[in-house]
Amino acid sequence: MNTVSQIIGLNWIVIGPTLALVATALVLLFCTITITTSDAVKKLVTISGIIFTLFTVFLKFGLFLTEGASSYFSEKILLDEFSLFGNVLLGFILLFNFYPIWNSSFELKDKTTEAIILTLMSTAGFMLMVDSENFMMLFIGLEIGSISLYALAGINKGSLLSNEASLKYFLLGSLASCVLVYGISLMYVSLSVTGVYETTIAISFIGSENVPLTTLIGILLLIIGLLFKVAAAPFQSWAPDVYQGSPTGYVGYMAATAKVASFVVLARLCIVSLGFVMDKFELFFSAIVILSILIGSLFATVQTDMKRLIAYSGVVQSGFILSGMTSGINGTSASLFYLAAYILQLIGIFLIFSTISGELTSDFSMNNLSGLFIENKFLSICFSIFMLGLAGLPLTSGFVSKFILITNLWSYEKYILVFALMLSTVAGFYFYLKPIWIAAIDKPENTMAKISLQLNEKISIGTLAAVTILLGVFPNVLINISRWVIENYL
Amino acid sequence: MDAKLSTLIYTLILFPLIGAMVIFLMPKNRSELFQPLAIFLSIIPFSVCLYLFSNLNSKSSYQQFDSINWISSYGIKISFGFSGMSHLLLSLTSVLILLSFLSVTDKHSRSKGFIGSILVLHFAVNGVFLSGDLLSLFIFFEAILIPMYFLMGIWGGENRRYATIKFIIYTVFGSIFIFIGTVYAGVISYSQTGTLALDYLTLTNLSFTQEQSKALFLLFTFGFLVKVPLFPLHTWLPDAHVEAPTAGSILLAGVLLKVGAYGILRVSIPFFTEGFLAYREVIAFLSVVGIIYGAIVAIAQIDIKKLIAYSSISHMGFVMLGISASTLLSLEGAIIQMVNHGITSGALFMLVGFIYERRHTRRISDFGGLKITMPKYAAIFLFTSFASIGLPGLNGFVGEFMILMGGFNTYKLLTAIAAFGVVLAAIYMLWAYQRMFTGEIQYEQNQNLHDLDTRELFSVIPLLVLMLLIGIYPSFIESYVLNDAKFITDIVELFTGGLD
Repeated sequence: MNTVSQIIGLNWIVIGPTLALVATALVLLFCTITITTSDAVKKLVTISGIIFTLFTVFLKFGLFLTEGASSYFSEKILLDEFSLFGNVLLGFILLFNFYPIWNSSFELKDKTTEAIILTLMSTAGFMLMVDSENFMMLFIGLEIGSISLYALAGINKGSLLSNEASLKYFLLGSLASCVLVYGISLMYVSLSVTGVYETTIAISFIGSENVPLTTLIGILLLIIGLLFKVAAAPFQSWAPDVYQGSPTGYVGYMAATAKVASFVVLARLCIVSLGFVMDKFELFFSAIVILSILIGSLFATVQTDMKRLIAYSGVVQSGFILSGMTSGINGTSASLFYLAAYILQLIGIFLIFSTISGELTSDFSMNNLSGLFIENKFLSICFSIFMLGLAGLPLTSGFVSKFILITNLWSYEKYILVFALMLSTVAGFYFYLKPIWIAAIDKPENTMAKISLQLNEKISIGTLAAVTILLGVFPNVLINISRWVIENYL
Repeated sequence: MDAKLSTLIYTLILFPLIGAMVIFLMPKNRSELFQPLAIFLSIIPFSVCLYLFSNLNSKSSYQQFDSINWISSYGIKISFGFSGMSHLLLSLTSVLILLSFLSVTDKHSRSKGFIGSILVLHFAVNGVFLSGDLLSLFIFFEAILIPMYFLMGIWGGENRRYATIKFIIYTVFGSIFIFIGTVYAGVISYSQTGTLALDYLTLTNLSFTQEQSKALFLLFTFGFLVKVPLFPLHTWLPDAHVEAPTAGSILLAGVLLKVGAYGILRVSIPFFTEGFLAYREVIAFLSVVGIIYGAIVAIAQIDIKKLIAYSSISHMGFVMLGISASTLLSLEGAIIQMVNHGITSGALFMLVGFIYERRHTRRISDFGGLKITMPKYAAIFLFTSFASIGLPGLNGFVGEFMILMGGFNTYKLLTAIAAFGVVLAAIYMLWAYQRMFTGEIQYEQNQNLHDLDTRELFSVIPLLVLMLLIGIYPSFIESYVLNDAKFITDIVELFTGGLD
């Protein structure tokens, strides 16, 4: 006998990670505002909450193994390979960024835990976003995540740059959200569907050559909304300012989560929903990729602020990831590998920045790195590894991901994209090696301030650097995972 | 191949890397131990190479001895292989690394980074010479850049920033083409075998159309030629040599320049022969231009290190001429000349390093009459100069003679012009010798220079012995390159219809 809950697919495990994070955030909020709890208890609550979240991701994986890809909650929530991939990545991003965010909370004037609550909420939102089967759920998840990020950018109320970053991020981000919602509504108007799978069925029903223009515009706007979040050119203008202005301890988290969630959703959209009409967007995507690579590389070469440099490098990397994602199923798998490898390097770099300059400062000039090798050899070696990984030097994960990606692009005969990616790789060696030169080779003019490296920071930075090297030498595991994600759609 | 041999060959790749890790983990306050430890660590690869001289496999043409699944879902394998040519170059590398450790002074020998970088460089270079597929070749080829970046960047001369960045950008620009070539070959391999297998055995069995062969040849060869360097891609070399520390210069000239020529012999010609046949004249012409240009520019140099750098361009021109002529004799000569140039230019850079530590100048005009104060040094320098010029009885003669003899069959005019390179070599080397060592002492700083001490003598004399040995008894070294050269000439003849 089917109960109602079985019919609508009420299964709490599927949204377990989101629920666990929201619950943790609420408990923490409660601890903060009602009873005077000691910091140790709050920390314990948060850490156990995060660990429980990872455990629920594990439970979801178990459910996936028995049930396979399936929809829940009246086809609002989806459990498939993409959502698991996104959940795991988002969980690890939260785990690695927990300490810088936690520490910085106590440097703030009113010493509240609001930063960590916002962080938990934004991860919850983005996890909901990658889980969403329905575009409305996607929007809700995206907004929960993004609004928390807008607030995080401006959490250092005393700093003018932080306020500027928050305002810019908020205004442009809301604009992008509007565009996204408008796209969803246009799709609903023309196809009367709002679901990922429903769209596929509707398009295949009317035939891909008969798809109305309204639908195509709707899809385009939906994609533009997501491209804004990953800072692909020409929607990249917010990224450098927001990265530069936001407190350093948060930028790695902010950049990584939004990118992971948006790219995972985009990958699913490209493979599942738009399979039949992808060729109509080919020119658009190629233009976005080439623009991102061109603008990112050109602007990155002239930056003197490290955070801006990483922002523009992020634009380039978004172009790389996008190029694979829009070139078919094998390319998407290569892109997912690229995404995971890139995110780990990105987090690592910002962890290093926040240990050098403190979590709450905004500016991080390239000269801040001067003398790093003398002051702290460990950090300087890890920094070099991350930068070389971004540049794509062999024996780092960056090389493997570029190789797989470019091979796939070539086999799809996208020679222009291959050419653009190659050019930007050469340019990349210039702007990624420059900071290494300043950090490790140049004789510093004045000695660097003492860096106090806590054990947990050392462990997380060391782990990320080791993973960057290990993925470059033994990439098999992650490549198999990224193949597994797309296997069913081959 | 038997298990013992593959263990030995893995030792060659992994031991330098383990050595580098040991050095990095050493406590900082025991810096006096770094140099002895490094010498000990590099004796082991050296003895492996010595042992391999007795192994029959080291005389064979290319053999794959192991293959590991790297990325299984794409069918990418990392393979390792070995031949007589690889063996000679590995031996050359291990000798030069050992001697450069012996020759470094306190300033460098007490630095973890310096010793460690050289060991990492050893690892990467051995990887190139032992790699059995395009991907691992590219990986090791690029990995060479990391230790060189730090060696030149941290311990280089005054203008090191410019030189290092120029070196990196040139090499990366070249290796991007190798990368594109690797991807292209991978796509072709995928369409024919269903996997991205890129090992040399698979590549031999792939069939390329003429256009593919031409394109792949150009891509790979361009990348390798930047490293050789062939005129007009050579401009990074003089800057890099002048700014690099002595050990860096020794390894740059002795080993890294060989990597490019090795790649052409191992990959470009055997697999993309049609492309080679289409463009060999261009390469031969540019090498002859390089021979003459390098020699003429060397004559005009006022900095002795720059002079040797330009002489390297000239000598590597001979190697490329021999390769593009691709007769049995010229190919053998080219491989032998690679080894010879490694030995002679390594010795020359070491000698320049010795005098630089004493006088802190490299200007030829700052010296003069050194023969009076440093007789041993002068004798050794003269001996090495003769080897570099190609005096019969010393090693330089063997390689250049074989190249010119073999090349004359293919390119009569070009080879005749190239022969003038030998005469020009005598001019720039002997004139420099004359200005530095003969005559009266003009500057009083040169009055009290002490002659070479025991350590310095020990680090340079093995190279002199090698010069003499190869010069007197070349058939020993020739027996190791014969099969490699035969392999290439066979393929070339297959495509030209046996006309050459």
